[in-house]
Amino acid sequence: MAAQPMKSRWPGLLLLAVILVVLALMPLLVNNYWLRVATGALMWAGLACSWNMLGGYAGYINFGHSAFFGLGAYVTAFLMNDPFGLPFLATIPAGMMVTAVFAVIIGAPTLRLRGAYFAIATWAFAEVLIQFASAMDFTGGIGGIGLPPYLNERFFYYAMFGTAALTYLVAWALFERSRFGLKVKALRDHEPAAEAMGINTALVKLQTFVLSAVTASVFGAIFAYWVTFINPKSVFGGDITDQMVVMVLLGGLGTLWGPAIGGVTLFVVNRLIWMHWGDTAFYIAILGAAIVLVVLFLPNGIAGLFVRRKANALEKVAEKLIGGGGER
Amino acid sequence: MDLFLQTLLNGLLIGGVIATFTIAFQLTFGVLHVIDFAVGGWVVLGGYLGYYVTALLGLDGFVAIPLAFVLFGALGYLIGPVLYNVRNSRTARPELMALALTFGLFTLLRGGMLTAWGFNTRNVTSMLSGESLAVGPVIVPLIRVAAAVFAVAIAGGLFLFLYRTRYGLAIRATAENRHNAALMGVNIRRLSANVYGLYAGITAMAGVLMGAIYSVNPEVGLRYTLFAFFVAVLAGLGSVGGAVVAALMLGVIEAFVSTYVGSSYSLLAIFATLFVVLLASPKGILRRGL
Repeated sequence: MAAQPMKSRWPGLLLLAVILVVLALMPLLVNNYWLRVATGALMWAGLACSWNMLGGYAGYINFGHSAFFGLGAYVTAFLMNDPFGLPFLATIPAGMMVTAVFAVIIGAPTLRLRGAYFAIATWAFAEVLIQFASAMDFTGGIGGIGLPPYLNERFFYYAMFGTAALTYLVAWALFERSRFGLKVKALRDHEPAAEAMGINTALVKLQTFVLSAVTASVFGAIFAYWVTFINPKSVFGGDITDQMVVMVLLGGLGTLWGPAIGGVTLFVVNRLIWMHWGDTAFYIAILGAAIVLVVLFLPNGIAGLFVRRKANALEKVAEKLIGGGGER
Repeated sequence: MDLFLQTLLNGLLIGGVIATFTIAFQLTFGVLHVIDFAVGGWVVLGGYLGYYVTALLGLDGFVAIPLAFVLFGALGYLIGPVLYNVRNSRTARPELMALALTFGLFTLLRGGMLTAWGFNTRNVTSMLSGESLAVGPVIVPLIRVAAAVFAVAIAGGLFLFLYRTRYGLAIRATAENRHNAALMGVNIRRLSANVYGLYAGITAMAGVLMGAIYSVNPEVGLRYTLFAFFVAVLAGLGSVGGAVVAALMLGVIEAFVSTYVGSSYSLLAIFATLFVVLLASPKGILRRGL
């Protein structure tokens, strides 16, 4: 998909460098409120990227990604609290390991089946975790669990920035620049053919799934420490997954920068709505409408608008004809 | 023992109502090859229609049943072709784009209902509400019996339609092999629209019944989507006959967990069962899944 003509490389790199410099200097440029918004935007861009690893590159839709975000958050919260009192950094690997184990348990049997079963299994898993975390004592039940407060906005900004940057670097290296990425895309585009080429599709899918889950857990860990208080709804809630799905679809499924574009756009829209109307159910309706509209009219997302070259004009027309019938 | 019988009967009655919309759900999957996340949304919309029929028109809640079929059947008929187009479009994974579409539709319905009607729960009231029937030692709320009777009637009508009419034959043929059905002169696109309309109408009718037994609010849609998935997984996606058995099992499991363990654990139990079945026997316990 990303066959890059040589000449268009330098402007892209320059733009990337400018963005990185601006992001690195962000704490000096804006006040604390907007720094929090930027921290959140980076988190969502990273989360969307982690969802995209499996959903976009491998073509398996995970409707319970919040489960892994929440696992990271809860492991950190659990280990930083009293009987253990571990330092923050030590809890992250623990969260990653727990998440990886769960990802293998869910992924190994269901990734062999049609995508729909996997979607249901992941969705059910996230809901089980909500119910479980709400019912148990050691998770603080429905009331949630607090963490030792650490009020240093810059620390959290740079933590999210570093993690998001690393996430995109890994996604770029693995999915755009390696044999592994080719295998993943091959199985997405035609699984039986990929298998016939000797690709161990079950293993590749599982590896992608675990990577995607573990990445989300790191963001969950930072998020928990950042907001200092979590409850089952705030980290396992379906709305978190909804948001990631919309971000990736909006930005462009299976592209490197799509999730970043979609993530930042949607998060800023979210904050603006929140500033003007407060916490409203209306946002959920907007999310739903956004998914529907993007699927119908922009199946390649915002990034798809830029990748498109003239050679694809014919394909575009064909798609218009098919998709245009969707207006009924 | 009385409690046991009571719970069993309650579970079977609820299971009967669940069966109506899960049969339609399976049929839709068979024909359209789409897992409809929006199923819970249709149930809740049906429940609200039942509520408004009582609250605004002052009629018995069950009057809403035919109304729900017409109204949401028409809406489904309009959505059907859109879904069909996405499912058969030339994107990399049309199956998943269609799944995303119904997911978006579900989120849109939920958000729209929350915005319009808020978090308050509503009841569908009927002249049977509050009455109950004593069968030996077991006392059954009459409204549940009525709901189950309606459910059996709806499901019976659907089966008659499927197995005794030419159009039903076309639907079954399409579910079995759409390519061959198309060769026999079935217009798959139009048939898909009709099936989605039929399904949306039936699901909304079941929603009226559900609203009469429990109460509705926009958030419970999730629960009915889960029910449909549970049945689909237990029966195997697309298996219509298995759906009846699985729905009755679901009703019984839910009733027993609510009675003997606690109602807050019933969802957990359902999810856990769903999950174990997915892991152990992913094509359904009857191994009939597609």
